[in-house]
Amino acid sequence: MAKSTKKATRSTTNASLFDDVNKPVVLSPQDERTLEKIYNLAANITAQAERDDEPVFAIPARSLGNVSFNEEKRVLQMGSKTTNRELFNLSQAKSFMQTTLVASGAKRLLEMGKTTSIRGLYYMLKHDIKPTKEPTFHDQGECDPVIEDCEVLLEALREELHLFADKRGDMVGNIVIVDSGDEIDCSKMGSGGYAIPSIVEPSVIQFKECRADFVLHVEKNTVWQRFNEDKFWKKHNCILTHGNGQPPRGVRRLLNRLHNELRLPIYCLLDNDPWGYYIYSVVKQGSINLAYESERMATPDAKFIGLRSRDFERCGLSEGVKISLSDVDRKRAKQIAEYPWFVHKKDWQREIDTMLKNGFKLEVEALVSRSISYMTEEYVPRLLREGDFLD
Amino acid sequence: MAKAQKEISVSEFFAKNRHLLGFDNPRKALLTTVKEAVDNSLDACEEAGILPEIWVKIDRVAENRFRVSVQDAGPGIEPRQIPLIYGKLLYGSKFHRLRMSRGQQGIGISAAGMYGLLTTGKPLEVLSKTSVRRPITYYVVRIDSKTNTPEVLNGDGDGEKIPANDEGRALLAERALDWVDVVSGTRVTIELEAKYQRGRGSVDEYLEQTALANPHATFHYVDPDGKYVQYEASVSELPPEPIEIQPHPYGVELGKLLEMTRETNKSSMRKFLTESFCRVSPAIANAICEKAGVSNRANPKTLDRETVAKVFDAISATKIPAPSCDCVVPIGESNILAGLRKIVPGEFFVAATRPPAVYRGNPFQVEVGLAYGGGPSIQKITRESLQEMLAESDARTIRQFLVASFDGIGADGADKIIKSAKIRPRVSPPKMSPREFEALLKTLQTLNLSEGQTTSVYRYSNRVPLQFQASACAITQTIMQMNWRLYGVQQTRGQLPRGPITIMAHFASVWAPYTSESKEALAAYPEIQRELRLALQTVGRKLGLFLKRRERVKQEGSRRAVFMRYLPEIADAVAEINRGAFAERLTAERAAKRVRLELEPREGENTARARAATPEEIATAIKRSQSSGDIYMKLLAVANRKTALADVRYDDSGNKIDPNAEEKDELDGDSSVYIVSQE
Repeated sequence: MAKSTKKATRSTTNASLFDDVNKPVVLSPQDERTLEKIYNLAANITAQAERDDEPVFAIPARSLGNVSFNEEKRVLQMGSKTTNRELFNLSQAKSFMQTTLVASGAKRLLEMGKTTSIRGLYYMLKHDIKPTKEPTFHDQGECDPVIEDCEVLLEALREELHLFADKRGDMVGNIVIVDSGDEIDCSKMGSGGYAIPSIVEPSVIQFKECRADFVLHVEKNTVWQRFNEDKFWKKHNCILTHGNGQPPRGVRRLLNRLHNELRLPIYCLLDNDPWGYYIYSVVKQGSINLAYESERMATPDAKFIGLRSRDFERCGLSEGVKISLSDVDRKRAKQIAEYPWFVHKKDWQREIDTMLKNGFKLEVEALVSRSISYMTEEYVPRLLREGDFLD
Repeated sequence: MAKAQKEISVSEFFAKNRHLLGFDNPRKALLTTVKEAVDNSLDACEEAGILPEIWVKIDRVAENRFRVSVQDAGPGIEPRQIPLIYGKLLYGSKFHRLRMSRGQQGIGISAAGMYGLLTTGKPLEVLSKTSVRRPITYYVVRIDSKTNTPEVLNGDGDGEKIPANDEGRALLAERALDWVDVVSGTRVTIELEAKYQRGRGSVDEYLEQTALANPHATFHYVDPDGKYVQYEASVSELPPEPIEIQPHPYGVELGKLLEMTRETNKSSMRKFLTESFCRVSPAIANAICEKAGVSNRANPKTLDRETVAKVFDAISATKIPAPSCDCVVPIGESNILAGLRKIVPGEFFVAATRPPAVYRGNPFQVEVGLAYGGGPSIQKITRESLQEMLAESDARTIRQFLVASFDGIGADGADKIIKSAKIRPRVSPPKMSPREFEALLKTLQTLNLSEGQTTSVYRYSNRVPLQFQASACAITQTIMQMNWRLYGVQQTRGQLPRGPITIMAHFASVWAPYTSESKEALAAYPEIQRELRLALQTVGRKLGLFLKRRERVKQEGSRRAVFMRYLPEIADAVAEINRGAFAERLTAERAAKRVRLELEPREGENTARARAATPEEIATAIKRSQSSGDIYMKLLAVANRKTALADVRYDDSGNKIDPNAEEKDELDGDSSVYIVSQE
C-alpha cells in the first residue's frame, strides 16, 4: 500500500513538471542567451550527423595546464585548449550522452523558470537506459563533473543553467538588498545573518542602499559569530561575510559585485596556514575549475589582513594554540609560494617562509587565548587603522 | 652348435615379431587388417583407373573374434596370383619400383591373414572377379609360416569358380559368402582375434580420415553393431596417375649400387648409369666414369667392390639434376579444404601444397590443411551413443547432464549448447521431446565450443592415415617445434598449439621413410621437416590473419553495441532541446535563413535562383528537429559507417560480400582459404 502511494505521488510530480512546461514562462534575456547556447549545442550534433561527421564536443580543458595568470587583469584565465568528447569513442560515448542529458535538463529548468540543486538535476536525469538496466548516471559523483563540463562548454555559469550548489555563507552589515523582490536590510538580521544564496546575479539580487565602508570576509562561521555578536560591523560601519572555509560561488560572486559595483574594499581574515592562503588566492584570483569565469568570480583587490606568521609573538599568544605543520602543509605551502601571483611578492614569500620556519600554524580562534574579544576589539581594528595587510 | 643353425623364414620371423607389422594388440590388429585390405583396394583401383568404391564390413563372431571383409570394385586379380598375394609374405608388385603408392613391401595383407590363422586357426578367404562374364574365383588360402608359401585349401588346391549368373548367386547364398555384385573386384575376408573400440586409433577413425584424404573414393562401412556409414566421393575424377621413376643416383647406397651392378643386364657403364637411374644423361654418365677412373665402356658386372665404391663417391661429387617430380601426386588444396570441411565443423579452413622437393634422391611433396573452430571430441558423438548416454544418465537436468558427461564443456558451454539448441534448460534428460533430442544432437555435432582444446593432428603418408606413434612422427614434431604464438594461437613451448585447431598434413612420396614396418610414423629427415615447416608457416600465417580480422570484427561489433545503447538517449535529449516555443522560433528563423536554390529553366538553360523557405518547409524543419526518431536515424547512419567492419560478411570463397568495403587483405580472393559465414 505504502509503496503504491509513493509511486502515485511520484507520477503526479512528473505530470506537474510537464504542466509547467506548457505554462508560459517569461524568459529573461540572460535565460534566452543560455537557451540559445543549449540550442546551438543540439543543432551542432544534428548538423555533424547530417554531414556524416562524427558528433563531437570540444570542451575547454579544466586543468592546471590550461590555466594562466593574466598579469594585467590579475586573475586566472582559461586557455584555449580543448578536449574532444566524441560520441563514437568507446571511453567517451557515455559521457557524451550524459552531456546532452544535462543540457536538455538545463533547458527544461530554464523553460520552466525553476532552479534546482545539482543533486536535483541528477535525480531529474537519472533513469535506466532501455532496454538495459544501466543507469544514465550511477551516482551524483558521475553527474557533477558533467555539469561542470556543460558550464564550460556552454560558457554559462552554473547559476545561468538554473542550478545551484549548497548554500554556505552568511552576511550582515549596513546594506539593504533586494532578493527576488524582497527587500532585506542586512543590519537587522539578528544573530543568524542573511544566508547568501548560490545565485546572486543582478537578476536576483539588487543592491538598494549601502552605507558600509568596507567588507570584512572571515573564514568560518565561528569567527563570524564572534564579530556579529560584538557588533563589529556597527562600530566599524562594514559588511561582514563568511564562506565556511573555501567560499562557494555565491559568496565569491557577491564579494566581486560588492567590490566592483559599490567600490567597497574587501579584507580577508583567514587562518595562518596553507589552506587560509589558498582561500585568499581563490577569492583574489579565481579557481582553476571556474577559470573561465574568473572576471566575475575573483576580486583581485582583496587584501589579506591576518592571521600572520608573526602574530604568535606580536600578540603574545599562549603556547597551547600552536598547531605543528604536517608534511602535507609544508608541501602545500611551497606550492602556493610558487603561484605566479605570489612568486614575485616579497611580502608573501617572507610570510610563507616565516610560517615554515615557525613550524606551526595558527587558526583565527587562537586570538581568543588573549581574550575573548581580542580579535574584534584590538587585532582587526589596529591592522585596519595601520593599513597593515598583505596584498 | 652348427646343427642348431637354421634358416628362418620371413613368415616365422614376423609371426614372432608381429608388433613390427602393427599387430601388437587385439585392438590394433583389427585396425591393421582393415587398413592393409583397404590400402590394397585403393591402390588396385587407382592403378586400374577405376574410381574406388570400397565396402568394409566387420562382424562380431564371438566376444573377441571378428570377421573383417573388405571388397572393392577394382580390376580383380588374376586367379594364379591370388594364393601368392595373400599367402606369401614379401610378395608384391610395389617393392621394386619407385612409384607413389600406399603399400610398399607386400607384407601387409598376407601378414593379416597369417595373424588371423595364428589366432583363430581360420584361413583367409578371397573372392575375385576380373570382368563381366568371367566367373568369381573363390580361394581359401593358408600361409605356411615355416616355408613362407601359400596353401590353397579348397577345390583341390586350385580354388573354385562361381559363375557370374543366377546359379552363381544361389551358390554364394548357399555357402553364406558375402559378395557385392560388381563387374570386377576383389573381396578378402579374414577372421581374427581382435577388439573393437571406438575413438582414437579405431577403424572408424581410420575410415573417416581415409575418406578425408581420398575425396575421389566412396566408402561403405558396416561396424560390428550393424551401423552403416557411407562416405560419398566428393570428387569424380581420379587423381593423376603417379609415374613410375628410376631411382635417382643420390638416393642410392653403396650396397644397393653393388647389387645393381651385379644384377644389371646393361653391357656398359654408360648404359647402366643412364638407363638404371633417372636424370643421368650420357654426359653425366661420362663425367661419373671419368671421376671414378672407370671406362664408360666397362661391363658393370665385372667391376669389383673398390671400383664400385669409387663410382659411388663419384656420384656424390657430380652435379646431377634433382629428380623430376611428376611422380608424386598431391591431394590438392581444394580437395583438402573440401575434405576438412566435411569432417570438422570449423569456421576457417586453409590449405597449402608445397612444390615437390627431394630427400635422399626421393622426390616428395608436402601438403598441409588447417581448420579452425569446432570441437572434434564431442562433435563425433553419434545418435546412438547420445541416446544411450541420455538413458543411462541420472542427472536431473539436461544442463547437469552436459556438464557431467562431456570433457571440456563446463557450465558456460552447457548453457551455450542449450541456448543454441533451444531446449528447456531444466528438462530432465529422459523426458526430452524428440524435437529437443534432434536439436541437441545437431548442436553437439556442430556447435563451436572452442578454447581450451588442443590441436588434433591428422597425419597422412601417401593418402594413408597414420594413427599411432604421433610423437615419433616428423609431422607432429615439426608442428610442436614451431612457434604458433606468432599467429595468435596459444601454445606452451614445444607442445601442440592450443585451441580448436585441426591440422592435416600429407606426405606424398615414391618412398616414404617410415620409422617401422607398421607404417605409423615418418622419419624426421631435415628436408622433410623443412618442407613441413614451410607449409605449416603458410597456413599459420593465414590463420593469424583470420584470427586478427575476426577479433577486429568482434571488437567493432561490441563497440557498436555500446554506441547503439546511447543513441536513443542522445536523440531524445536533442529532440527535447528542440521543443518549446523558444527553440521552435530559433529553428524557424534558421530554416528561413537557409538559402534554397531552385533550378529554373530560362532560355533553354537551367539557372539556379535563390528563394526563401516556404511555411511548409519551415514547419517540416521544426517537426524533424523535434522527432527523436529522425535524429536517431541520422546518428545511426554515422554509427553504422563508423563500425562498418562489424558488418563485413564473407561469401563461400572468403570474399567480402560488401562491395563497398574499403579494407582488403590477403585472405580475400585466396583460393586456398575458406571462411564459414557467421550468419
